[in-house]
Parts: sequence; structure tokens; C-alpha cells
Amino acid sequence: MASLVPCPNCGRRPKEEFTIKGAALSRPGADADSENWFDYVYLRDNPRGAYEEYWHHTSGCRRWLVVMRDTLTHEVAACRDATDGSRSERRK
Amino acid sequence: MSSYRLPNLGLVSRDTPVSFTFDGKPMQGLQGDTLASALLANGRMLVGRSFKYHRPRGILTAGAAEPNALVTIGHGGRTEPNTRATMQELYEGLEAQSQNRWPSLDFDLGALNGILSPFLGAGFYYKTFMWPAPLWEKLYEPIIRKAAGLGKASYEADPDAYEKSWAHCDLLVIGAGPTGLAAALTAGRAGARVILLDEGSLPGGSLLFETAMIDGKAAAQFARDTSDELRSMPNVRFMMRTTAFGWYDGNVFGAVERVQKHVREPVPSLPVERLWRIATKKALLASGAEERPLVFGGNDRPGVMMASAMRAYLNRYGVAPGRATAIFTTNDSGYTLARDLEAAGVDVAAIVDSRPAAGVDYRGKARLIREAVVCGVTGRKAISAIEVHRGDRTESIAVDALAMAGGFDPIIHLACHRGGRPVWSAEKTAFLAPGSLNGLEVAGGAAATSGLAACLGEGIAQAQAALEGVGLRCPPMDLPKVEGDDAAYSSNPLWSIPGVKDKAFIDFQNDVHLKDIGLAVREGYGHVELAKRYTTTGMATDQGKLSNVNAIGLIAKARGVSPAEVGTTTFRPFYTPVSFGALTGAHAGHHFQPVRKSPLHDWAKKHGAVFVETGLWYRSAWFPKSGERSWRESVEREVLNVRKNAGLCDVSMLGKIELSGSDAAEFLNRVYCNAFLKLPVGKARYGLMLREDGFIYDDGTTSRLAENRFFMTTTTAYAAGVMNHLEFCAQVLWPELDVRLASVTDQWAQMAVAGPKARMILQKIVDDDISDAAFPFLAAKEVSLFGGALHGCLFRISFSGELAYEIAVPAGYGESVADALLDAGKDHGIMPYGVETLSVLRIEKGHVTHNEINGTVVPADLGFGKMVSATKLDFIGKAMLQREGLAASGRPQLVGVVPIDPKHSFRSGSHILAKGAEATLENDEGYVTSSAYSPHVGSTIALALVHNGQSRHGEEVLVWSGLHGESTPARLCHPVFFDPQNERLHV
Amino acid sequence: MSEFRPTLRPALGSKQPVASATFGLSTLPEGTIIHVLARPGEQDVAHLLASLNGSDPHALRPVSPDQWFIVRDAAMPNQEMKGLFAALEPRASGVDQSHGRVRIRIEGKMAQRALSKGTALDLDSSAFPVGQSAVTLIGHIAAHITRVSSDAFEIIVLRGFAESLWDDLTRMGLEFS
Repeated sequence: MASLVPCPNCGRRPKEEFTIKGAALSRPGADADSENWFDYVYLRDNPRGAYEEYWHHTSGCRRWLVVMRDTLTHEVAACRDATDGSRSERRK
Repeated sequence: MSSYRLPNLGLVSRDTPVSFTFDGKPMQGLQGDTLASALLANGRMLVGRSFKYHRPRGILTAGAAEPNALVTIGHGGRTEPNTRATMQELYEGLEAQSQNRWPSLDFDLGALNGILSPFLGAGFYYKTFMWPAPLWEKLYEPIIRKAAGLGKASYEADPDAYEKSWAHCDLLVIGAGPTGLAAALTAGRAGARVILLDEGSLPGGSLLFETAMIDGKAAAQFARDTSDELRSMPNVRFMMRTTAFGWYDGNVFGAVERVQKHVREPVPSLPVERLWRIATKKALLASGAEERPLVFGGNDRPGVMMASAMRAYLNRYGVAPGRATAIFTTNDSGYTLARDLEAAGVDVAAIVDSRPAAGVDYRGKARLIREAVVCGVTGRKAISAIEVHRGDRTESIAVDALAMAGGFDPIIHLACHRGGRPVWSAEKTAFLAPGSLNGLEVAGGAAATSGLAACLGEGIAQAQAALEGVGLRCPPMDLPKVEGDDAAYSSNPLWSIPGVKDKAFIDFQNDVHLKDIGLAVREGYGHVELAKRYTTTGMATDQGKLSNVNAIGLIAKARGVSPAEVGTTTFRPFYTPVSFGALTGAHAGHHFQPVRKSPLHDWAKKHGAVFVETGLWYRSAWFPKSGERSWRESVEREVLNVRKNAGLCDVSMLGKIELSGSDAAEFLNRVYCNAFLKLPVGKARYGLMLREDGFIYDDGTTSRLAENRFFMTTTTAYAAGVMNHLEFCAQVLWPELDVRLASVTDQWAQMAVAGPKARMILQKIVDDDISDAAFPFLAAKEVSLFGGALHGCLFRISFSGELAYEIAVPAGYGESVADALLDAGKDHGIMPYGVETLSVLRIEKGHVTHNEINGTVVPADLGFGKMVSATKLDFIGKAMLQREGLAASGRPQLVGVVPIDPKHSFRSGSHILAKGAEATLENDEGYVTSSAYSPHVGSTIALALVHNGQSRHGEEVLVWSGLHGESTPARLCHPVFFDPQNERLHV
Repeated sequence: MSEFRPTLRPALGSKQPVASATFGLSTLPEGTIIHVLARPGEQDVAHLLASLNGSDPHALRPVSPDQWFIVRDAAMPNQEMKGLFAALEPRASGVDQSHGRVRIRIEGKMAQRALSKGTALDLDSSAFPVGQSAVTLIGHIAAHITRVSSDAFEIIVLRGFAESLWDDLTRMGLEFS
């Protein structure tokens, strides 16, 4: 019926504006071994509680976000732009 | 007017009579009546038959909890079954029908179920009709369903409009009774954005039948004045006839507003119902309390009514419940009713009080019987007497109406929608809302507060607290002065009543009675969730509003534990039923989903295109000419014409993405499996995108228009997905790359001009030299058109295998350019063609689409193995593509298939079997992905994914479709059926 | 065919404007919409854009972090646009969306009420003041909304969805029309 996601760029928006990709995992390096890659592509935790996911604000700012939500209560504890923090650090 | 209507009492308009019919019989009520109050005023006690036993039922409540008085309103597409007569406002011409009776309400053959009722207890159906199992579906269930039930839905389309809306506020107040009004006024005066809603037609809630005075005014007048002030405030939205039905994540409430359910002919410019989603910072639940029925024999007989409902009919509607009444009470509220009845001149024969002493000093005329209970009633379609049980004696008292006052249960449904469980309060002897609800507070009757002054005070205090919580300052509010209110009451619940012989109902709507609960506990279904499902108590449209607490109390008693230990079942939305119309809103019929139109839509229409829906797009499928009798004929003509002359096809719906930035080439190199870094400016290249698991995701061409500017096309189906994916790569995976992505799908009208005469036609409108030398295969650049009047992009790419171009022009000029091209090509035989022809042309050339790129193939499977870069350090899918299983023998590989007999055909989806093999799962060799009739080959041709297909060209196989019972001998072949040397591309 | 002059077919050319005392719906000229995308991490591109004031009146609409629309009623000649794009580089890219997006004006006392039937955006002037822009869903269609005055909004929508959105907006305003 309704669920509001606090987009850091747009404010609280209904979930219909978003596309959910799934667990917010770091992509292994190109030289990572096959086990790492297998885990990244196929293996998922299914926690009861806090979970970090990639959500795309498709019908809003079109930014990819990291949404920390509780799988039990649906509470969104935090929501940040996925680029924040990584850009400056990686742009060396 | 009937003699049940009392003079000079109530809020109904006595000079505005309203005509209506009940089961076809004309009746009259008054403006301000509900259907229920009008029926009662007409002396109509029997209004429905019960779900299972077909027992005669009357009107039990005056509100949303009504389990019995369910009727069907309206007719045709406006038929609304299971409408609560207690909530339906009366309007001129209203048509109401009773339900679940045949042939008539007064003479109902289904009542035989009542005679059989000793055999129809809880679990009866499951126990009895278990064997033989096949008969359940074919015989037992249909018969049971026919006998049991509520109203029937219409098969006609609903002619009315519905819509949805969002609203936002600082404080949402649910319920405009004394608590809610006080809260809303407090917050409204403080300047907060307030929404106040109430399910009724008049604001005031219990004030509408309250006899106390507030600030020197009658309670109903106080309600009116307060709502007038609220309505005058621009920061307050006051919504009547609006039920908050659910509480959702993010403090969003769902509510349904019945905009035009109280009128005969809805105005077409307005919806009949509006579904609200209200996002609020704070909410106050002021939904009041529900009176608890008493579980005695025949408590469901017409004439038995909740005491508060009787008071509402009396004081608000001016309707006497009967000629001689009695009150069965467990608390002091029964005496308030007695006082009001007597003041109105209605005879009260007896007050039966379960307690040894009352908290009030009653001095009326009624006979007061203490330490007594009503254990049964006499009468079937209307009661004629009550059986009063005191000590070991039972006496009969003649009455035609009985009020039951069993105490109050807070209405906390909404407070429990987000996982919280009600908490049993031994002090209040009621279930209360869970504590610490984030963003929602409960006040007044809903918090088990009794007494008018206390409710008003709580409303003010809670509003102040809520506003402080959102950083708003609240000026002090004076507590209104209340006179004549009865003392706050409390009562010990009276779960079970001695001396009961007849059926004593717990759940009226589901016909669950006392013995069913006992049976459930005895048979091991004593857990509240099991008992609910075993007996069906608390199910159906009323969701146990009246029955749940009694059921829990009785289970507790049977198990010898406290109600706290039994607990409650789970509360879920909706609080009251919500129509599908409201939930659908405006998105019905051809508004179900948006239509996405190509800029060439009207151009195609002008040329007679037949359209096909692909996703949200309407694509031109083919362009029939007069005299053509089938689509095949049109498509064959279009195909042959492209190969002989030239054709024009709208490809605007391809996804188009512009990439810029100094790292755009590096970015493309990482998202495609083939190399893009060194793509020269002015060139297009076919690219394959993989998923991270190594399988192909999408394909398309990308052209380098400038050093740092690229133009990508994607397939139509995956356009949105690819854009999301690229944004993920740019923002999440490689934020260090300077790449900027803009979707330009809608900016360009894009046309394929294909065929041997394409160049000479195009050259007429393109200013630049497009000779083969100047603009060879895979050239791409911005071009000037019509002597500089327009600029576009030209790509020499070919899906058809012919000399072909795609030209992109600003969308608004698309139609004009398409017209110009047809005009320019008139003498060269140019014709428009659609996606069907596009499909035949590409199958003839062995080009793949998502029929082949179906999520199960890697590049090598399609013959693209050599495209995959071996030198790139990284690209999406690189790591997982190296898995040995993806290079193993036996993988499905793209092949062509032709029937051995050209007269035979087969279709996509058919399976490939080795010649002579039986059609079993083990023998399945693959399947046909695309097929078409090729006018050049002169037979059906197909592409298929077949195990080791690339090494099996020439092999005879069987194409088998079990679904269609088809079996066609065929031969595997090279997947390119036409111009395998690609000579026609390079002319 | 240098004598041929291509003609513009407006996306909403067949739609009749709605005008009542409290609700109005009209199309805005299909002039110029330039999508500006800043280089990732680039600061102060908004200032750069403000300094690029051309001669014709235009407005700047924020789209998302590091992205803007430059809108103006008049069409921009090809050379001028090329010049503008060049001036933006390398700090930002310009992409012509003049035909990819369509502008609609919705106005009147009840415009906000009507729009609330489609969007979850809080359009109250305290939360969404004049000059503010946002991208949001209106019903099932994503669109860019700007409050251009206390009672008027500009909506920018993908051309392919323009007719559908127009029909939806018409229906949302029906009770006020």
C-alpha cells in the first residue's frame, strides 16, 4: 500500500519510484578468484534484521542509493547516495 | 411516518422525507437517516439472514462494526453487496435488497440449515465431507457455497470513476468524536497542518447522541461549532465519510473517502470513492471504543441491540427501538440509556444488572433486577420476551427490544497494523494498543479512557505532545466545561452467562456460537490463531470487531488462563472493507497503463499501420494495402520490396543513450564484452553486454560521434533496464570514471531506410556525401538535411542485411522527414514496413533478438565467441564467463532450421528431437527460438538453440510441438539464410 | 530537396487546453530543453550555467545532483547550441532534449490538489516553494515538476508519454474544470 524511502537527494518518496537491485555488495576485483566471484554473483545472506541494499531512484533523481533497512520491521535506518564516500576515495 | 419515529428528537430533518425501497417495498425515512435507522423507524426488525444457519437477523449496531444488517445497494454495474445498513446514508430512491435468503427474507428455505444446525458445528464440513476426496470439489463445496454466503457481486462493469490522492500533514487525527475534535482544534489553532477524518457523515462521533452539555451547549451543537471552526482554518483538512483503513510503513495511512456513496446519481466529474494515502509526521488514533456484546441464548434475534446503538437510534435519529424495552448491563452505561429512553417516553420494562450494586443511583420507573442475567429470548423473527436468570430462578419478561451493555473495547485495529500486538490490561479489562508506537498515539475511548471531560482533555494533551514532537509550539488550550456527563465507568467482563440453552452467538456474521469455541478448545484448537481458523470466528467483512474479545475471553475461560495469555490474532488492513474500485483508482480500462507513442505513430497510422503492443509502446506491425487478404500477404510484399527496392521502418522505440565525458570510451569498454576503446570517431560498432554471471544481457550498436561523445542503442525491451544498469556501473562500480549518461530515446525519431535503393533515396534529403566511399558500412555521423534546415544523425547499419541506414532526426520533425523520404523514394518503390517484416528480414540473416538472447546463452553459443575480448583487463561478466561449464561441449548453440518438405511449417517454441527419437525430456535437443515464412527461401525458416548445433548443420531432426500436436521433419543448417557473404551490405 | 522545409509536429498538438476558474492545463512551446550533466565531482556548475546567460529568456531547472535542464520557449539554432555545448565542456556536457521532452503548464487554485492525485510529492508551498523542482511519478509516469508561481507548475515529461500524461492530468482536474 505504501512505504516511504528517504532519498538523500529527493526526500521521502514512495517505493513505487524505486527499483531494487539487492544486497549492497562490493564487486570483486578483476583478478579475484572464482570463489569470490561466485559469492558475489550468487550467494546472499537472508538476515532477520538490518540489511543493506542497492536501490535505484528510477522515477526520481536516478541515483543509486544504499538503503539500510530492517527486513523484520521495514524501518529504513539509513539511506545514502551510493557514490558518496566512494568517489573521493577512489578518485586518487 | 411510522409510529417508531419519536417527535422532537434527534438530528434528522423532519420536513425532508426520503423515499426508498427495501426488497422492493416502498418506505419513507428522513434526511439524516441511515438505511438502518430508516428501517427501524419503519418497524422493520428483520433485515437479513445469517451466513450459515440462515437465522433471521436484525440491526445490532449503529456503526462500522455491524455484522448482521448487510444489504445489497443499487443495481446493474452499481450493485454493492454487503453494504452495512448502519453506515449507508439514506438518499432519495435508494434501493436496498436483503441477502442470503430464498425465496424471500420472511420465508427462507435456507433456514432448514438452522434445523440441521446440531450437525453444522465448527469443523463439521471438514470432518464430514472428507471422503471421497474428489467429491469435495465437484459436489460438496458447490452445495455448501450455495447455501452459505453473503451478497453477490455484479457481472456488469462499474460505470463510476474512482481515484487516488496523496495528502501530507503534521498531525493526522483519526476520528472526529470528542477526543479527535479537541485534538484537531488544538493543533489547528497552533497553525499545524492537520488532517481530521471520520467515517461518519456528521462530525461528532458519540457527541451526536450524547446528552451532556459542553461549554453550555448541547454536545451535538458543540461538535457542529468546533467543526465549523476547523473548516474555516486553511491549515486544516476536514474529511468526512472517510475511513482510515490501514497504517503503513513510513507513517503513511490509507483511507477511503466515500465521495458519492450517498447519492443516487453520481456526478461524472467526481469519483464515487477516493483512496487517500496520507503521509503524516504524527498521528492520533481517536477511533473510540466498540461496545462488547453479551453471549446469551438468542442474542442474535432481531430486537436485540447494543445499548450504545439503541442510544444512538434514540438520540440521533429519533427512533424508538421498540414499544417495551429491557436493558441487560454489566456496567453503569446501561443506566444512561434507561434514563434517555424514559425521557423520550419509551417504556423500559426492566434493567437486568449482572452486578450486586450499580455505581449510579437509578430512580426511573424500570424494574431493576440485580445479580441477574438475560439467558435467553423468546421469538424468532422478533423477540417477544426475555428470559431473566437470577439465582436458580428464570422468569420471562415481555419486551420487544433488548439492549446489551457488556462494556467497551478500545478500537485499536490501526495501531496494530505494523506488527504491534494488543496488550491485555487487567485494570481496564480490555485489550489496549501496544506501547511506544513510533509516530502514532492513541487517545480517548481508543485508549480505554471513559468520560467526556477526560476524552476532551486527552485529545488536547496528545495534540500538544504531538506538535512538540515535530517542533511546533502549541498555545495553551482551555478544557471545555462538561455538565451532565455520567461518571466514568468500568466493568468486569461477563464472559459466560449461566442458564443459556439456545445458541449464544459470539461471531454473528460467521454464525460462530458458544459451543463452537468449547469444541475448538476440546479438540486441541485452543490456540487463538487455530481457534479462529477452526471456528471462523473473527473472519469475514467485519473482521471480528464485536466477536474477537468475547472469543478470547471464552477461550481463556475454557483453558483456565487469563485473556493476556490467550492473546489476539493478528490485525491486518483493512479495518473495514475497501472496494476494488478504490484500490484500482483511475488506472482501469485503457488507463490501466500508460501508452508510449513513437513520434512516428501518427505517420504510421496515416499509412494504415496495424499496431502491436510491445511493452508500453504501440509499434507498427505491418502496413496492409487494399486487396491484401491476410497479414502474411502484406508482410511478404514488404519483405520482397525491401530486398528489391527500399523500405522505411520506424525504429524510434530502440533505447538511445548518449554517453559523454573523458572516460566514456573506457566505460563502454567495461560494459561491453567486446572492445570499444579504439572505436574511431565516425564509426558504429555492434556490442554485446553481458550480465555479471557471464550470460548475454543485451545487444545494440554504439557509435562514436566525437572523441568523448557516443550514441548507444539498446533493444526496445531492455531500454530502461540498460539505462539503470549503466547508471549502476557509473555511480556504484566506477564512480572514478568521468562518464555522463543521458537517455535520448524520446529525443529522436529514428527510421531504418533499407534496400538496394536506400542510398539514392536518402541522398535526396541528406546534404552530406553518403556514397560508399564517403560513408561506408558502419559509418556514423551527424548530418545536415534539406540544405541545412535540419540536423540529425546517420548510421550505416543494417538489421535486414541490405544496404541500409538508420537516420535519427529531432522527434517533432519525424513525421515530416518520413513523409519527405516516402516522397523522395516514390519513384524507387519505397514502402513503409513494420516489425513483422523486420523480423522476417532479420531471421533470414540470422540476426538475434531477445528470442535468442533469452538469459541462457553466452556469446559463443550464438557464434559471437570471437567478439569477446581476451585482452581487456575487466568487463562486466568477464570473470564468470570463464567458468568451464560455459565453454563445455553440449551447450545450446544457434542454428538454422528448415523443413524438409517446404510445404511444411513449424512454430517458435517447438522442440528439436533427433530423427526417430521419442518425445521425452531426455531426448530434448533444444528448441526453436524464432520462425517465419521466408519468401526468398520459399519455406518456413527458423533459428533454434540446439545442443552442439554449430557442428550439426545438415542433420535431419524432428521439430515437435506437444502443445499443438505437431511433428515436422526438418534439417539443421547454417543460421544465415540469405546473402551469407554479406555482399549486399557493402554496395 | 533543399527547397523542402520540414514541419514540426507538436507532441500535444491535438489537445485542447483546459481553462476554468480554478484549474488550467495548457501546453508550453516546444522550444528548447538542454540537459546539462556535470562531470562527476565537479563543483559549482550551477554558477557556470548562471553565467552563460544568452539573449533569450530561459530558466534553469535542477534535475538531480549534477544535472539541470535549461529551458526556453524559443528554439535554439543548431550553431548556437553547438556553441553552448562547447562552452560547457569539459566541466559539463549538454544534450539536446528539446524534442525528447514536452512541457505542460498546470495552474489554478486547485492545480496542487489535482497533482496530488498523481504524485506523492508534498506540494504544499512550505515544502515545495516557487522555483523548486523535483522528478517524481505522476500516476505511472515519471515527470519533472517545477513550481513556477504560487498556483502554477511546469511539468516536463518524456515525449512518448506526453499524451498519456495529458489525459491523466485532464482527468485529475475534471472536478475543477
